[in-house]
Formats: sequence, C-alpha cells, structure tokens
Amino acid sequence: MSDDPDLSTHDSSLPGVLGIIDSTISRIESFLLAAGVLLMALNTVSNVVGRFVFQSSLFFSEELNRILIILITFAGISYAARHGRHIRMSAIYDALPSTARKPLMVGIAFITAIFMFGLCYYSIGYIETQASRGRVLPALQIPVWITLVWVPVGFFMTGMQYTLTAIKNLTSRDIYLSTSVLEGYEETEQEI
Amino acid sequence: MAATVFLSMIVLLLLGFPMMIPLIVGAFIGFVTMFGGLGQMETMIQQMMAGIRPASLIAVPMFIFAADIMTRGHSASRLIDLVMAFVGHVKGGLAVSTAAACTMFGAVSGSTQATVVAIGSPLRPRMLKAGYKDSFVLALIVNASDIAFLIPPSIGMIIYGVVSNTSIAELFIAGIGPGLLILVLFSIYSYIYAVRNKVPAEPKASWRERGRAFVSALWPLGFPVIIIGGIYGGIFSPTEAAAACVLYALLLEVVIFRSISLMDVYSTAKSTGLITAVVFILVGAGAAFSWVISFAQVPQAMLGAIGITEMGPIGVLFVISIAFFVGCMFVDPIVVILVLVPIFAPVVDGVGLDPVLVGTIITLQVAIGSATPPFGCDIFTAIAVFKRPYVEVIRGTPPFIFILLCVAVALIFFPQIALFARDLAFR
Amino acid sequence: ETWKYAFEEAMEEVQGKYAQKFKEVIEANSDHEIQLFPFGTLGESADIMEQAQAGILQFVDQSPGFTGSLIPEAQVFFVPYLLPTDQEQLARFYKNSKAVNEMFPELYAEQGLELLTMFPEGEVAMTTKEPVESCADLEGVKFRVMTNPLLVESYKAFGATPTPLPWGEVYGSLQTNIIQGQENPTFFLYSTKLYEVTDYITYAGHNNFTTAVMANKDFFDGLSEEDQQLVERAADEAYDYIVEYQKGLADSELKKIQEAKPEITVTTLSEEQRKCFKDAAADVEAKFIEMTGDSGKEILDQLKADLQAAAE
Ligand code: NA
Ligand code: NA
Repeated sequence: MSDDPDLSTHDSSLPGVLGIIDSTISRIESFLLAAGVLLMALNTVSNVVGRFVFQSSLFFSEELNRILIILITFAGISYAARHGRHIRMSAIYDALPSTARKPLMVGIAFITAIFMFGLCYYSIGYIETQASRGRVLPALQIPVWITLVWVPVGFFMTGMQYTLTAIKNLTSRDIYLSTSVLEGYEETEQEI
Repeated sequence: MAATVFLSMIVLLLLGFPMMIPLIVGAFIGFVTMFGGLGQMETMIQQMMAGIRPASLIAVPMFIFAADIMTRGHSASRLIDLVMAFVGHVKGGLAVSTAAACTMFGAVSGSTQATVVAIGSPLRPRMLKAGYKDSFVLALIVNASDIAFLIPPSIGMIIYGVVSNTSIAELFIAGIGPGLLILVLFSIYSYIYAVRNKVPAEPKASWRERGRAFVSALWPLGFPVIIIGGIYGGIFSPTEAAAACVLYALLLEVVIFRSISLMDVYSTAKSTGLITAVVFILVGAGAAFSWVISFAQVPQAMLGAIGITEMGPIGVLFVISIAFFVGCMFVDPIVVILVLVPIFAPVVDGVGLDPVLVGTIITLQVAIGSATPPFGCDIFTAIAVFKRPYVEVIRGTPPFIFILLCVAVALIFFPQIALFARDLAFR
Repeated sequence: ETWKYAFEEAMEEVQGKYAQKFKEVIEANSDHEIQLFPFGTLGESADIMEQAQAGILQFVDQSPGFTGSLIPEAQVFFVPYLLPTDQEQLARFYKNSKAVNEMFPELYAEQGLELLTMFPEGEVAMTTKEPVESCADLEGVKFRVMTNPLLVESYKAFGATPTPLPWGEVYGSLQTNIIQGQENPTFFLYSTKLYEVTDYITYAGHNNFTTAVMANKDFFDGLSEEDQQLVERAADEAYDYIVEYQKGLADSELKKIQEAKPEITVTTLSEEQRKCFKDAAADVEAKFIEMTGDSGKEILDQLKADLQAAAE
C-alpha cells in the first residue's frame, strides 16, 4: 500500500462545465470516503471509552457504523470506477489484440453501466418502500430509509462513470479503463 | 437453472467484466426466473445491504486503515526489523515469520480479510526486497490468513456451534490442532521454497543489534499489546481493537514519530475507503447471489440428486467438504455456514458423526474456499490492497491449496488431529 | 402450491418446532407444500420480515421485540413483570387475550401482515459471571441486551450497564469478559452454549419471551376460504403442540446444562429478592407509554385486563 498519486488528482478529462461538475463530484466523493472512515474509527473507539470510563455504552454505535459503511461503499464504488480500480480478471482480455480489446471494453463499460442504472432504479424503489413502512432504527430512532440515500446516488454515479468510459473509448484512439485511466497496467504497481 | 447461472457468471468473469457484474448478473437471473420478471428486485437491493451490514465486517476497514498508517510511517518497519534481527539469518525465516504472524494475528482478530491487510501490507514489501517472488508472497499471505478461522476465537466456529447446537468451547479446542498443522506445513513449504529459489539469508544479527532493534520497536510493540492484551483482557471486541489500533497508529506516527502529516492521514483514510468499497460491493453482490441459491433451495436439490442419505460417514464427510469448499469459492463463509449446516444436520445425525469433527472440517473448508478462485473474498481483499492483477494474486496459490486439501483429507481419515486436544480437555 | 416460511431460530429450537408442526398440518390436509427457512438462511429478522411484507415469503415468525421498529406497540412484551411465569396461565392468556387476538392484528394489518398467532417461548433467564441476588449485584455489570430501547431501559433501571452487542459477538465477549451477563430463554441458553461462558443462571421472573407468526396479508386474503381455514387450523394446532412441547422443556434443558456443566449455579429469586426488580419495572412501563402514546397505553391496559382474566 504505497502512496496513491493517481488518487490525489481530481482533474476531470471532460471538457468545460461538465469537467468542473465532474471534478467537484470527485472531490465530494473522496471527502465522504475519508470522513466515513475517520468517523467510523472515532465512533468505535468512543464506544470503548464510554463503556470503560463512563460505564455507559453508546447505544447507537453499531447503527452509526452500519450507516457509515453504506456511505463508504456507495461513495467508493463510483470513485473506484472513476479511477479504474474495480476488481476484474483481465487475463484473457489482456491476451486479446487491441482491435478486439477496444470493442470488448466498450461493451463491458456499457453493460456495466446498464446494470448500475438498473440497480439505481430499484434502490430508489427500495427506499420508497422503506419510507412508506416507516421502519426506524431501534437505537437512533431515525427512519431506515434515510440511511440508504447514498445507495441510488452511488449506483447512478457509477453508471455515469462507465457510460463516460464507453464514450471515451468510442471517441479516442487509445483504450481507457475509466475516464481518466489508460489501460496497460501490467508494468506498474498502481492499477488493479 | 443453476447450471446456466454459474456458466454465465464464469463467462462474464473471464471476459474481464468488473467482478461485481458476474455476481450481480447471477443474482439478477435468479430473481427474474424465480419471480417471473422484475417484480421483486427490491429484495436484491435489500440483500446487497444485508451483505455489508454485519458488525464484524467493520474490523476490515479499521485494520486496513491502521496497517496503512503504520506502513507509511515508521511503526511497521521497526516491528519487522525486530523480527528480522532474530530470524533474518534463517533460510526462509521471513516467510515462516509471515505465516506465524498471520496465525497469531488471525487468532485474535478472527478475520481472514483483516489478517490479509494487517500482516500482508507491512510484510509484503520486505519479502519482495528479500528476494521472494510476488506470486509466492501473495499466496502465502492469502492462505496463511486461513489459519485465522481455525484458531480461536473463530467467528465461523461460533456460527456453526449456534446453528448446529454444538459446544463452541470444544470446537475452539478442536481447531487448534489442524491450525498448527497447517502452520507447520506452510513453514516447511516456505523453507523448501527459499532453498530451491535461492532466496538469500541475511547475516546473523549480533545481540547488540537485536537489542537496538528492540529499543527502536518499543513504541510499535504497543500494537500487539493492544490487540492481544485488549481482546483477551476483556477490553475490546476484535472490531474495537481494530479501531484502537487506528488511534494508536495516529498517535505514534503523527504525534510521536512525526512521520506523516495530517494531510497524509486524510489521503490514507480516502484510500482505505476506496479499498473497502471495492471489496464490500462484492460482498454485497455475493450476499444477493447466495440469497437466490438459498431461496431456490439449490443445495437441497443437489444433495437429493447425489443421494447423500445412502452414504456412510466417510462419504458424507467428503460431500460436506466439497459442498463447503465450493460454496465459499462463490460467497461469504458465514452465509455458507448458515445455509448449508441445517441442510446437512439430519444426515450428520443419521450416520452418527461427531459434530465437533464436522464443525472443524467445515471451518477448514470455508477458510480454504475463501482463498480459492474465482470469488474467494480474501482474494478480492488482496487484489484491492496490494493492487496486483487477479491472475498474479492467484498464481502462487496451488501449492498452498494443495497442502490445505491434504490436511482436509487427513482430517477425515485421522479425526484425532482435531479431536485429540478436545478429548484431553473435555473427556 | 409451494409456500415459504422463515423464522428467527434454528430448526430444532422452539420457533422451528412450531414451524415444523405447522408444515405437517398443512401438508397432511392439502396439496400445498411448505419450505422452511431457519435463522440466517434468508437474512436477519428484519430482512425476512420485509420479504414477508413484499410477498416473497408467505409466512414469517418475528418476535414483537424486533417488530418494535415497525410497530412500536409490539414492544409492550418487554415491560418487565407484565407477563406471569406460570406456563398454563400464559397459554390461556395468548389464546383468549383481546389485545393479542383483536388489537394487535389491526396493527399488523396496517403493515400488510395477517397475525396468525402469538406464543410464549419461555421465561427469560439472566446468565452472569457473578451471582445475582439483588439489583445491587448488577451494579457495574456490563449486560448484553438486544438493541431495543425498552430492554436498555429495563437493565438501566435494574442497575446494570446495558451493552448492546450484535448476536454474533455475544459468546466471544462473554468469554473475554467484555460483557459479564446476558438474558435469554432457557432452551436458548442450552442450544447456543452460552452457559459455557457464564457461571450463574438467575430466574427473576421479569419476562417471558414472546414470538409471533404472520402471513402476508394479500396472500392470505387471496386464499380460498377452505385454505384460510386450513392455515388458521394449522396455526391453532401448532400452538397447542408448542404449548405442550414446552411443558417441562425449560426444566429438561436446564438439566442438560447442569449435566454439561455441573459447577453452574442456578438460582430462582424469592419474592423479596425480586422487589427491587419489580420496583424498576414501573419506570420501564412509563417509558413504554412515553414512546407509544395513547395507542400503547390502550394496548397495555387491555393486556393487563386480559392477564387478569387468564389468572382467574
Ligand atoms: Na481466530
Ligand atoms: Na483466507
């Protein structure tokens, strides 16, 4: 786990206003990732301190971690898509000639995007169902649906990233793993 | 239906789709065929959430975070220098130490994924520098972390004990024998590997150098104290110990050693979040997939088809071994235990097998399965953390999996490997 | 037709036994088949409840304590010393109670569920590392409870430090002494081996574990009259069976615990020793009314009246 220079840049490869929006979203995602992880550590340790020093557990500690892990996962999947970091098995793909790799990558990106948009749609439905039933978290007593709002957003942003990847591959000579990452990772330690 | 689903998943995987897609497609086909359309897709979302929710999984990002801070700062290298001062001159010493560290850490943390990151990330660079091949190093880390499941406390054994109504205390003791046997066999293999590949040994350190290494590692030695002392001393749960390590790592590296800045902490947290997301989306998709398998009663149908009720004890143990091994190649071990154990319970009862032996075998099999392609979750973790291609991570695994399978077979024919300690303690 | 039925316990625990009997009656008297899904095979308690609401599952067993996040009034079963410990009296109560048989079904119906039956799973026992003879003995004891506001309130009022922990961590945390106590019905103490990591079992009579079996309402309403009657009959027969099955179950499971661990100490608190626990119960009742308002109070009052009737 060396430094991640590829993660420190937020410069979008999209033109104009789109690029600014894209960079801003990327910044928000990375902030949420970091904040989620730090809050999780703080929350968990506070629970220990509360139990030992104040003889009183934080009843919401576990629920808060559940909320944070959803936030981290769904802010993270689109951030990972942006940086070409989703895990894949590329052995066969890599062995193909570039004339075959390009259409394959376009297909992969489009199909992945379709599934992400589909899951986005159904997760909105799931949230609506939760809201209509009025289920609350037992300790925090807040509605369950609120804890899930990041799910459709994450799926949507991931779908967008893969759509843009497909478009990028269709409009440029090189083959791209994501909007900002060129393929060809066997030589470097950076990519997955 | 099951065959079609598995086949499409494998094809998507091989084509180079992001790994979440085969799992999502597998679940998706299941939902569409079972419910005749898209009417129940919300349950798929529910199960993806259910997969990432378990409180014990929180230990994974916490250990990733702590290990990353330690590795960027001074703690990790000072701890390893200390180990090297004692074993660096032994052939294969570093590999054996890594395996032993995985065992010890796994024993207390109880999580194979946490072990992969916490031990693997500081030790892998050092092993590469010492001349081990990356494929060997990755395979060693991924597979040695399996031992975490067998050495108590083991979440897998607790779940098995509860579902099958078996003494958890007896299971814990029964796991130690096979766990140590695997450690010994891995050590022997590491030694042979080091000799055959001419991995150079370092010159033997003097006692003076060892003393210096010890002094410089004094602060970082707080980590094992927090983890082992904290958990066995009743202060932390394993998850809480992970978070405490994060705090201690921040204290050491930011305040005492001043080796990293607050900005570094921020970017480390970000990369931890990214790794977590990449692994957890697969855990979630895997949960949705396993829900389909469970709901459609696929295991029941398969066991009926092979006529398990006609088999003797050895046959039943083989079927159990294969079922859990294959199950964990696709989905999370805990889910596999919850789904399969009740299905096998009447058969195990019928042929009069010792449930403690069965539990030990199952625990071993889920550990092996979680490190076995295509979808073993330890492999995902290693790929995400070490940023190596899938094929590279699995290339070195066959010898390890072979050793593990030998132990698994030995356990069937020589149950005393597991039951000797149990009988000594309880009978 | 194939119907699916999920519950919160293992196949050979009380909810599983009920489900097996239910299945047996249905299958013996119709062409329908029932598939059973024990604990964890389709998700946690909240998951299977949602699946039943979505109509994927036809039947589900969820204990009112868990239903509290959906139907707050269901938490009434956590008010200490509300329910008696006498098994026969309890059995009469569940069978005839107006609150259970008329008021709760309306609340469940609002959530798309047909409440088929509620039944007791036995007196809840505390298991601890140190003896408990009064509230004072719980002072400073970290006591694991389910994440439920009323249970937390109860143990606070008893003097303990209530510590919510996920179920999977309970055994390990007792072993390493992160917590020093937890509560569950006797059969559960045996089947989940919690006695292995605690040394004292104490019966304070403060609660009886209640559970509820429901059907998806649309599914139930869509059944032919004949099938509806069959489902109700199966629920009734399984109820009678489970009441009979549980007679002496607590005693026999306790005996098994004592055989497996002879050094364990079992105590039933005397009326006098229970006094401080009973005094604390009033706080919890007040908290329940504060949380659920008039509708909760109405249910509570009706329950008390029904219990009075069952006692006579
Ligand atoms: Na362990
Ligand atoms: Na493993």
